[in-house]
Amino acid sequence: MSARTLGLAVLLLGTAAGATAAQDPRLGRFDAQTRAAVMALLDSARAVGLPTEPLLDRALEGAAKSASRDQIVAATRRLAGHLARARAALGTKASLAELEAGAAALRAGADSAVLAALRRSRPRQSLTVPLAVLADLVTSGVPADTAAATVLALAPITSDDALIEFRRDVDRDIALGAPPAGAAMVRGGSIYDALNAEGPRVNPPPGPRKP
Amino acid sequence: MFEHEDEMLTRVVEHLKRPVGVDPALDGRVMAQIAAEPVRRPGTTAAAWHWLVTPRRFSLPPLAGLTAAAALAAFLVMRGPAAPASQTTAFQFVLVAPQASSVSLVGDFNDWDPSMSPMTATRQAGLWSAVLPLEPGRYRYAFLVDGVHWQSDPTAPRAGDDEFGVPSSVVTVGGT
Amino acid sequence: MGIDDVGMSDADLVRQVLAGDAAAYAGLVGRYRDRLGRYAVHMLGNREDAEEVLQDTFVRAYRSLARCDEPARFGAWIYGILVNRCRTAGARASRRRRLFVHDEQALEGPATTGQADRTELDELVRWALRRLPVDHREAFLLKYVEDLEYEEMARLLGVGVSALKMRVKRARDQLRIILQEAERV
Repeated sequence: MSARTLGLAVLLLGTAAGATAAQDPRLGRFDAQTRAAVMALLDSARAVGLPTEPLLDRALEGAAKSASRDQIVAATRRLAGHLARARAALGTKASLAELEAGAAALRAGADSAVLAALRRSRPRQSLTVPLAVLADLVTSGVPADTAAATVLALAPITSDDALIEFRRDVDRDIALGAPPAGAAMVRGGSIYDALNAEGPRVNPPPGPRKP
Repeated sequence: MFEHEDEMLTRVVEHLKRPVGVDPALDGRVMAQIAAEPVRRPGTTAAAWHWLVTPRRFSLPPLAGLTAAAALAAFLVMRGPAAPASQTTAFQFVLVAPQASSVSLVGDFNDWDPSMSPMTATRQAGLWSAVLPLEPGRYRYAFLVDGVHWQSDPTAPRAGDDEFGVPSSVVTVGGT
Repeated sequence: MGIDDVGMSDADLVRQVLAGDAAAYAGLVGRYRDRLGRYAVHMLGNREDAEEVLQDTFVRAYRSLARCDEPARFGAWIYGILVNRCRTAGARASRRRRLFVHDEQALEGPATTGQADRTELDELVRWALRRLPVDHREAFLLKYVEDLEYEEMARLLGVGVSALKMRVKRARDQLRIILQEAERV
């Protein structure tokens, strides 16, 4: 289901508050109108098999930050769309954490095809951290294609801890004035070279390499 | 410092005196290791964690302005007393906010409820901390200072989508 | 960045930690992180090794804090630990990739003249320092970069003042020659 279709489905299929299951006490943190809108969104998401916890979290964030009903509904709907796209790319067996991280990556500007490629590159390992790193890199200013190529090259051959450290190193280089693309390519290239020093080569990340 | 003919040496020393940019998260890593050390006084098994969670009195120094809330927030990864059923990692969140009278850690992990995770002021005035067990995943969060001011974590990645006009940060917890 | 001085001296913080308030140690870490880190980076030549040594130094200092006889001189005392850790790390082959030296050049974007000059000088300084014997490099950094007095250096290195003055002088002479050679290339 495309994001737009889901959006229409949410509009058309919104149910009245009273028709849902027993009310979650957290919903009491919204005013009546916002609560009704949020519950409608949750019901629609549930109906198409999307997880509702991330949606409720986003709405609760809005409530905590005193956002308007329109802002809360827009943000929650946007997230629902990204979750749907993430599930389409990652598969129906994707975990909740993978879907959330995938949605964040899509929101940041990554392409669905990248998520699918990551799934193929790491079929049996969790993608939560690679997807989160991808989202963080793009948010930090690394161009989406560079971030994607780097993470795709590293994900199959590095641990989650190493990926988190890579992201931290890139952030630090950027904070010290390095251009984001260069920072990602150089850090990624060095890790790749070190890990492939003895093993078979797979597709390397883009960009300049160490001599 | 040097003779005239040592102008090059003077330039070298000036260059060497420049800040080198040590990772501010190093503070957190040090404190995490220290948290795992035996306590200096005899105590129970949980005593090693006692200093993280015990409320303490503190006095605010006469500093001006909430903007003095400096940016020291560290992530500490500690394998600690956690629920055995799922793989959780204890994270310590730290914020320096010398002017604050209360700081809450608020995020996806506690339903964005400011009352769930009030941060503890340590005896070192201005240093607030909280420890949460987190399962693998990516979490949005922010600090709520004095119940009014939202502050992102300056040393953590930004959430990117500040959909509500207020910035948030993200923390990613690995599974292995 | 570190925790700003909020009125607690090193001695106060040390006494608090020794009294059982481990959290107070964060104040000392924040206060000395950047300065000690600078020495470690220049001694070891790369930030990753330096940060590893720095972290180790702070933890060791915490463990042996009761042996800091003069809490008011915590700074000088922890320098002694750092110098020893740097010596050990320098003697050990590094297991990590040395990203810092080479990659800093690659990380420079479309450079202004100022940026390019700094990179070249940085490379030159690193290279020159690496060519000094370890004890000369130590003495030079502690004297001219960390601004320690000879008496303080003597206490933390366990070497006499006149021997230290000789090391510093030799370091200066060697650096002068190394830098003059570099200018001719």
